[in-house]
Amino acid sequence: MRVGIEVGGTFTDLVAVDGSRVEVVKVPSTPASPDVGAFNSLTAAGIEPALVTDLVHGSTVATNAILERKGARVAFVTTRGFRDILFFQRHDRRNIYDLHYKKPMPPLRRRDCFEVAERVSSNGDVVLPLDTAEIERDLIPLLAEGGYGAVAVCLLSAYATPAHEAQVKALIGAALPKIRVTCSHEVAREFREFERATTTVLSAYVQPVIDGYLSRFETTLAAARFTGSFSVMQSNGGRLPAVAMRKNSITALFSGPAAGVVGAVRQAERSGRKDLITFDMGGTSTDVCLVVDGTPSVSPETEVDGLPIRTPVLDIVTVGAGGGSIVWIDDGGMLRVGPRSTGATPGPACYDRGGTVPTVTDAHVVRGTIRADAFLGGTMRLDVDKAHRAFEEVATKLGLSVREAAAAAIRLAVANIVRAVQLVSTERGRNPRDYALLPFGGAGPLLAAEIADELGVREIIVPPNPGVISAFGLLAADFVRVAGVTRRVVLSDDAPPVLREEFARFREAAEREFRGLGLDGALIFELTAEMRFIGQAFEIPVDIDPGRLPTLSAADLAEEFSAAHRRIYFHGGEPGRKVEIVGLRFGVRRPLDKLPEFRERASRVVNSGETTVWTGGSALSARLVDAATLVPGKATCGPAMVEGYSSTLWVPPGWQVERDNPGNLIMRKV
Amino acid sequence: MGDSKALDPVDYAIISQSLIAAAREMGAKLIRSAYSTVLREARDGSAALLDADGNTIAQAELIPMQLGTIGHVFRSCIELYPKETLVEGDFFVINDPYSGGQHLQDVFFFHPIFFEGRVIGFSASVAHHLDLSGGDPGLNIAASDVYAEGIVIPPLKLNMERDWNGGAFQRLMRANVRVPHQTMGDFDAQIAANAIGRTRVIELCERYGVEKLVAVMAALMDYSEVRMRAALRAIPDGVYVGEDAVDDDGLSDAPLPVCASVTIKGDSAIVDFTGTAPQVTRNLNAPFAATISSALSCLKAALTSPDIPFNAGAFRPITVTAPKGSMLNPIHPAPVRARMEVCFRAWNAIMKALAQAVPDKVIACGFDTTTSFVLSHLGPSGWSVYLEIFGGGFGAGHDNDGCDAVDGPLSNCSNTPIESLDQDFPFFRVIEYALRPDSCGAGRHRGGLGFVRRFETLTDNVRIALYSDRFRRPAEGLFGGEAGAVGFCEVLRDGKVIPLKSKDAMQLRKGDIVTLALGGGGGFGPASERSPDEIADDIADGVITRDHAPHRAPAALIDA
Repeated sequence: MRVGIEVGGTFTDLVAVDGSRVEVVKVPSTPASPDVGAFNSLTAAGIEPALVTDLVHGSTVATNAILERKGARVAFVTTRGFRDILFFQRHDRRNIYDLHYKKPMPPLRRRDCFEVAERVSSNGDVVLPLDTAEIERDLIPLLAEGGYGAVAVCLLSAYATPAHEAQVKALIGAALPKIRVTCSHEVAREFREFERATTTVLSAYVQPVIDGYLSRFETTLAAARFTGSFSVMQSNGGRLPAVAMRKNSITALFSGPAAGVVGAVRQAERSGRKDLITFDMGGTSTDVCLVVDGTPSVSPETEVDGLPIRTPVLDIVTVGAGGGSIVWIDDGGMLRVGPRSTGATPGPACYDRGGTVPTVTDAHVVRGTIRADAFLGGTMRLDVDKAHRAFEEVATKLGLSVREAAAAAIRLAVANIVRAVQLVSTERGRNPRDYALLPFGGAGPLLAAEIADELGVREIIVPPNPGVISAFGLLAADFVRVAGVTRRVVLSDDAPPVLREEFARFREAAEREFRGLGLDGALIFELTAEMRFIGQAFEIPVDIDPGRLPTLSAADLAEEFSAAHRRIYFHGGEPGRKVEIVGLRFGVRRPLDKLPEFRERASRVVNSGETTVWTGGSALSARLVDAATLVPGKATCGPAMVEGYSSTLWVPPGWQVERDNPGNLIMRKV
Repeated sequence: MGDSKALDPVDYAIISQSLIAAAREMGAKLIRSAYSTVLREARDGSAALLDADGNTIAQAELIPMQLGTIGHVFRSCIELYPKETLVEGDFFVINDPYSGGQHLQDVFFFHPIFFEGRVIGFSASVAHHLDLSGGDPGLNIAASDVYAEGIVIPPLKLNMERDWNGGAFQRLMRANVRVPHQTMGDFDAQIAANAIGRTRVIELCERYGVEKLVAVMAALMDYSEVRMRAALRAIPDGVYVGEDAVDDDGLSDAPLPVCASVTIKGDSAIVDFTGTAPQVTRNLNAPFAATISSALSCLKAALTSPDIPFNAGAFRPITVTAPKGSMLNPIHPAPVRARMEVCFRAWNAIMKALAQAVPDKVIACGFDTTTSFVLSHLGPSGWSVYLEIFGGGFGAGHDNDGCDAVDGPLSNCSNTPIESLDQDFPFFRVIEYALRPDSCGAGRHRGGLGFVRRFETLTDNVRIALYSDRFRRPAEGLFGGEAGAVGFCEVLRDGKVIPLKSKDAMQLRKGDIVTLALGGGGGFGPASERSPDEIADDIADGVITRDHAPHRAPAALIDA
């Protein structure tokens, strides 16, 4: 049996697959010790750990350790003269009019930052040798006295040559074997010292937390006679065996949204759909990702709590539009939705937990697209009157009826998500009409048709159990390791050999690591060149099929870069402008032997007959359909509400939906 | 709100947010495809969408200084070339400070947006260019008129086909700049940003109809006006005055006062700069458009919530005046390159005036100075010009310490990574980049720290040029808070220290060490009211030293 357990802020989701049998369970999360909720989900599903062959886990432990500042006591060591780079950051302000601006806070203080005498140049030559005597005499006693649990070492230009960092690590390791030392070249071998330093510090900061968490998890599993493989989800959309994650855990941040994308995309591929725009709408926000030919786009950098993290992650854009997003009117009289949210408590007014401000969920209740007695599989009753009352003030201010105001709020929520879709598509030179929309999350399928209409998208794919697709994504994820390296080379005949050399180096190291982790079978490699016109500061990624490397020419690369530049910036550069490669990104993937089956779980609510939905001020009679009863060969025309255990799909007039053989719902414009 | 009443509130909200998003995309792509450090790292540029009459509707929020007055410079173009005479492919270009521009380095491009054969608006971009001719590479601090500062482009109507893509104007510009690779690339980035804005507006017309779009443009200006008036109404009526001064003009030692009086009456405000020093013969004068930008930025930052779109409507309730012939409204051809210093003092003077009206909203003076720092070298393959803009410590507020080491409130330049400088400039090396302990003004809340950059020259024949301020007159504290440290610049050569002035230039030799020190922000409230815990933390972090602590820390703590 294969089991995925995804720990979220409110719920812990479990998906278990055994042949064609699919089990889906949602239990409350236990934020103080998330592993308790994870084991509760196993109990709730009636699963014996001893029978599980493949267990994949995703959690917010790493992210929360940073957000709640519960990581290790960490010291920072850098080149003399540059102790303060974590505090300078980029010398700018995120909000240009904020007079009381505060920079994002690194997880240590200035007193925890130390310097060593050394300097290397950008091509790796030693300008000033490392003063090892000084380290032994001054630095090591300070680290010992400071009670540090971890040390992050980031020396200037260490991306060019790691020798000095390795020496510092060896000296500290020899003197203070209990302190774990993380070097910048091990975490992000790329130039730009602030971003690399912060990544190193955050990695050192969360690593003991993840290590402790996973070690405890493994102990509990062993006690329950679990003998299968145990792996952990990463933000790049792949998983790694837990033993590897315990050594380098920066990729564990934000694994949840990545798991959702991977699960939805793998499931959609079964229906032959590979060009997709995913959108995952939850309680407080919506995550959007563009998928080209089955591969989600990747960003070289992300950030947590305002601090940059230089590690490739799925390129997911988040907007503050979720079910709990607040509907309000600003002091200029404009209707707004979000970005503030009521959160889980008090929650939307209809939850009847003390909330009185209108939210997107309340708008659905007023409109009739969320039914009071069918919410969360009927496990939670909603108060329709409270939803109506919450909208009265907004309606009065706009001179609208309550129903019209709720409809306006939904249109605005749709517009917010549409803008996020445009950010990942139109702004990157991709036309959303060339893609199918793939909604998931509890609230995604409710708005999918309206978003598609705004974008001109004509096809929507809804996976089974869209509210727990992240847990399925854990099971659907391949084993993945990604790495980046700064290697500047002008695009000339010298460039292809450099690519071949760097790729061979990564390939050799990756094969060694994966074989060491017991990951047999064929490996798939990926290569991306970060390119720009000489003089620019921002790179454009150009994917290169490693199979082409032996015959790849500089002219091919120049042409592909120019096309990518034109797509984004509307011009391909004036003739003769020189191009350079700044860095390379590599990926290695051990694909799954077999993607597990995934089927709709039966809902416990009786949903047949008709219900009333208010759109555009008039009442529509919509058919009620149980998602689990939809079978291939039988289309359902809108207006209809397809209710499942974890989510509801709204099928407006003019759309029809049908289940296909792989188990997905395909919704089309009639 | 006039005609906008007829607008559906949802259409209005959606289209207006889309216009703002389009301007933001223009700005982001202007920066991301740029070549010179001053644009790509310092982000000294901006982009906007204008309506058919040239009113700014939406702007990318990059540099406050360039926000707000794009409409002024546009007007001098449209007066010469009425929109009915424009055809597809036409564009305007201008940088003349005396036709509504800022300084010559800021070149504006305007491209008309046609829909169904008529002009429905303009996309606009402005960028600071690294070198635009003039007496010295990057920065001519000795310029005594605008001609010595660079090439002047009056309002021009040009055509992309005829004049740009290999055409005469493009070739003229290329022949006149020292770093054509970067400058011409940055022009292309501006043109591309305008093309993006034009495409997005046309898409909106196709989706919603041009009538709705035009109505939303008008409504969005009304919206900002309503919100700005609401903010002004919340302030007690009265006349409030404030004063600050620029250190000197670089020639004499005399301070140059800047006086502001702010009259709040109901829901409108008048800012007047009578009493400000007469214009000077060096580059410290601010063209009037720059003066207006600083005044609007200060009022917006201090009085309103940050999310009010900064467009032409927001300025309707505000009138700005400055005497002709003063530093804040100079007469042609006075040089204006270093306009930021007097603009910052205007910002400080207004903030001090507002402190009397809304003491809990304002902040103390920060270092609030643009330090423009240039190292240049003529090598065998042409000029190499390094220019970086530095801020300092922010002023403290009612409830917070000032931000350490950050660009000033009228600006928002990023630093360039040291590792980028190491790659790009073989003629110098940065050997230190550190916070300056004790540079913060003491107070219940302390000012932000200044910082130090040290450079080692690796070859002969390197030229340093800079302009800065607050080398003599520190950032004052507020309500009993103390002043921050002043800045300085010096060269260490053969064991001897050569001090530089705040507006200065010299030739450097191999092995010279240049130290540039940026000052701190002023404190807010008496230092005696600062909590002992915060003082202890500042000492532990080396933000203040024990030598510096006595007059601000309880004795027990110092002895501990």
